Amino acid sequence: MEDKASKTGKIYITIVFLLLYIPIVYLILYSFSKGTTMTNFQGFSLKHYGELFADKRMLAIFLNTILIALLSSVCSTIIGTMGALAVHNAKRKHERETLLSLNSILLVSPDVIIGASFLIFFTALKLPLGFWSVLLSHIAFEIPIVLLLVLPRLDEMSPSMTNAAMDLGATPAQILSKIVLPYIQPGIIAGFFMAITYSLDDFAVTFFVTGNGFTTLSVEIYSRARQGISLEINALAGIMFIFSLILVGVYYLIETHNARNGRKKNLVEVTDR
Amino acid sequence: MKKNFRGLFFTPYVLWLAMFVIAPVALIFYYSFFDIHHNFTLSNYQEFFTSGTYLTMTANSVLYAFLITLFAILISYPMALVISKLKHRDLWILLVILPTWINLLLKAYAFIGLLSHDGLVNQLFQFFGLPIQHMLFTDSSFILVAAYIQIPFMILPIYNSLTDISGSYIRASRDLGATKWQTLTKVIIPMTMPGIKSGIQIVFIPSLSLFMLSRLIGGNKVITLGTAVEEHFLTTMNWGMGSTIGVVLIISMVIVMLLTNTKRKRRRA
Amino acid sequence: MSKTIVELKNVYKKYDDGFTALKNISFKLQEGEFYTLLGPSGCGKTTILQSIAGFTEVTSGQVLFDGKKINDIPANKRQLNTVFQDYALFPNMNVFDNVAFGLVVHNTKKEEIQTRVHDALKMVQLEQYANREIGELSGGQQQRIAIARAIVNRPKVLLLDEPLSALDAKLRKDMQYELRELQQDLGITFLFVTHDQEEALAMSDQIFVMNKGEILQKGSPVDIYDEPINHFVADFIGESNIIQGKMVEDYQVAFLGHQFECSDAGMRPNEPVEVVIRPEDLVITTPEKGKLQVKVDTQLFRGDYYEILAYDKAGNEWLIHSTNASTDDAIVGLTFSPDDMHIMRYNETEAKFNHRLESYED
Repeated sequence: MEDKASKTGKIYITIVFLLLYIPIVYLILYSFSKGTTMTNFQGFSLKHYGELFADKRMLAIFLNTILIALLSSVCSTIIGTMGALAVHNAKRKHERETLLSLNSILLVSPDVIIGASFLIFFTALKLPLGFWSVLLSHIAFEIPIVLLLVLPRLDEMSPSMTNAAMDLGATPAQILSKIVLPYIQPGIIAGFFMAITYSLDDFAVTFFVTGNGFTTLSVEIYSRARQGISLEINALAGIMFIFSLILVGVYYLIETHNARNGRKKNLVEVTDR
Repeated sequence: MKKNFRGLFFTPYVLWLAMFVIAPVALIFYYSFFDIHHNFTLSNYQEFFTSGTYLTMTANSVLYAFLITLFAILISYPMALVISKLKHRDLWILLVILPTWINLLLKAYAFIGLLSHDGLVNQLFQFFGLPIQHMLFTDSSFILVAAYIQIPFMILPIYNSLTDISGSYIRASRDLGATKWQTLTKVIIPMTMPGIKSGIQIVFIPSLSLFMLSRLIGGNKVITLGTAVEEHFLTTMNWGMGSTIGVVLIISMVIVMLLTNTKRKRRRA
Repeated sequence: MSKTIVELKNVYKKYDDGFTALKNISFKLQEGEFYTLLGPSGCGKTTILQSIAGFTEVTSGQVLFDGKKINDIPANKRQLNTVFQDYALFPNMNVFDNVAFGLVVHNTKKEEIQTRVHDALKMVQLEQYANREIGELSGGQQQRIAIARAIVNRPKVLLLDEPLSALDAKLRKDMQYELRELQQDLGITFLFVTHDQEEALAMSDQIFVMNKGEILQKGSPVDIYDEPINHFVADFIGESNIIQGKMVEDYQVAFLGHQFECSDAGMRPNEPVEVVIRPEDLVITTPEKGKLQVKVDTQLFRGDYYEILAYDKAGNEWLIHSTNASTDDAIVGLTFSPDDMHIMRYNETEAKFNHRLESYED
């Protein structure tokens, strides 16, 4: 794209950015209020953070959430990467396309459908709702995004790369561990981080399959928010915001690292011609 | 190559496809033919398509989702256009992405405070001498918050398709004597249609089923297909009817996908 | 007496969609020779290379290495190595690790890896680059590393799949010399795949000209240039003027209403043939002295010669290479000697073609 942004354009995006960020700033600002409502700021205080940290139930829920996020991301990264290898090695075009459309179903479906169908599924299997049903659901809906982040790396890998390794005498296992996995590693890491954020972000699916005993942060926020304003939630928002910033930072670093490597390679290709 | 390895990769993934993709969808279809007493019946569908409540609800859902999508496009397109022309556009687009990493429920919760009787919005209204409004638990507040949440997801695909346009097309258009406005309407917008279409997919389908938003912001006034599914599955325990509504949701999803036939990826970065 | 190292016997390759990539391919490669598979893209030359390397299975026929059938032996167990068109250097490894890869996967001892990698890098004159990253190398250097990596396992045959196509013109010429020298130093068989006829003519001991999955002609570069078997080969190798004519009798050919003496024989009397005259063999003279008269249309200065495009009265196009410029629209005469003409029969097989040539040459 050419052209410079006009003045009106700049004013416009400033307003939209303000509107995008006011709710977030507002939310976090009130976590530091002495009062108990989100309407009148009553002087700086960390008491809501104090309450939050003293809340043993909240701490347990927080740990549950992190545990689910990490476990599900590890599992989904492994299965998703295998899936990407399976799709990549599909012999026929329609085989690949069938796998890819099945893969995208969970990405496309509305959350309530995923949640409701998983609920039916677990009930049909007589699996009690709780930790395991939530973990399995999270693994299930994270797999397709991992696959979508790993597959492009595999596809951009020149087939002569694996041929070259084979030509030099490498066994299939050596090709996988020494050539393919190192090559697609950035995609795997990106997939892992994306899986974590999907897990942390999910509310609807968890809400359907969580049963009574087990809760994650999203579900807890929902049930508390339905009861009205509690500035403890604002404090939680503050903490989760910092957590998200760290995740964004890490993810952004990985992405720019990948992009830089990609660009370096392109530069070589360009100068060669 | 790797013939013996293929089975190894294939098995877990195909197992996942069978258990968590095919089986659940099949089960939803299966359950939609059973009533609350587990008798095989078509009555769920009959009820859905004859009762005024369900049909109005479907019409309302579609209308809400349509308005949310429309507002999102109207705000997002100029936004994406301006950002794509900025010097540090990567940084600015990161600022668009950032809010999507914050839990949706926290954002909805913020609006409970913002839109409440004494909240910031009403304080501003008072400041300008306007009467205080009851905004919470209305359908317009639901549409407002939903659009707020969806805007970044609309900006991203449009932005991506804008940055994919080579500058020489714009220069060629200007060179051939088109005005800026003509260049926008005859070159840029047609070339970014794929971005707009995937934006529509990303925004429209979830907007049909944002039950948590309608519960938190819309109160009981806003009942969408999503709310109804949640209600039937978790409150009235009428899974058959819930599944029937689910099937309707799936079908409308397929229709939207077919109408905007490009791949949908809800990606933040 | 050199011995056969690779042999293909009646090899066919058919794809699921019905496309036949290779039709009845048979040839032998001797030890220590430089062979080139030459043909346009899609002619099947890379498929031959891949079936020898083991990246693709042939549908029928035999692939023999050192006298043993290797059809069912996987690529990682075959004792030949490949240099790839895109080099296929592993981006996650530096130069040393790339070259060492073939030794590492064979569990070679560390000290031996050191010396052999060093030797291989020395062969391609890049011994001081061992610790560089692949991304830091120029295209030409990557090319050499790819060769070093392929020769480190000391293969008896090196397969090269259009390895020079990504290089610029000047570098490509330099690499032609280097590859030829390397092949002579190593003393192993090279099978080189290219669509560039100049490259093939410059480097090879033997050329196989291919089209549409078949080998049309094999022979030394000089033989193929001077005595192409048919229209396709004549047109593909170098530039040529091809005119339809009639073989009146042995050593007498007629075209454009005149009869000329030629040096070909062995056809039926009055058999329709095609006559090839290379543009550099045509000499411009006055219209009276010329065997043919043509009208000059366009001239392009090519540096070491003028390329002149002219038309005869029948409308045939004539391409002439001349050291002197001509005049646009001038009528000029063209002369050529009987040896400058090469006569081709329609649909003659390579066996019959060779047999016919032997019958009257010497």
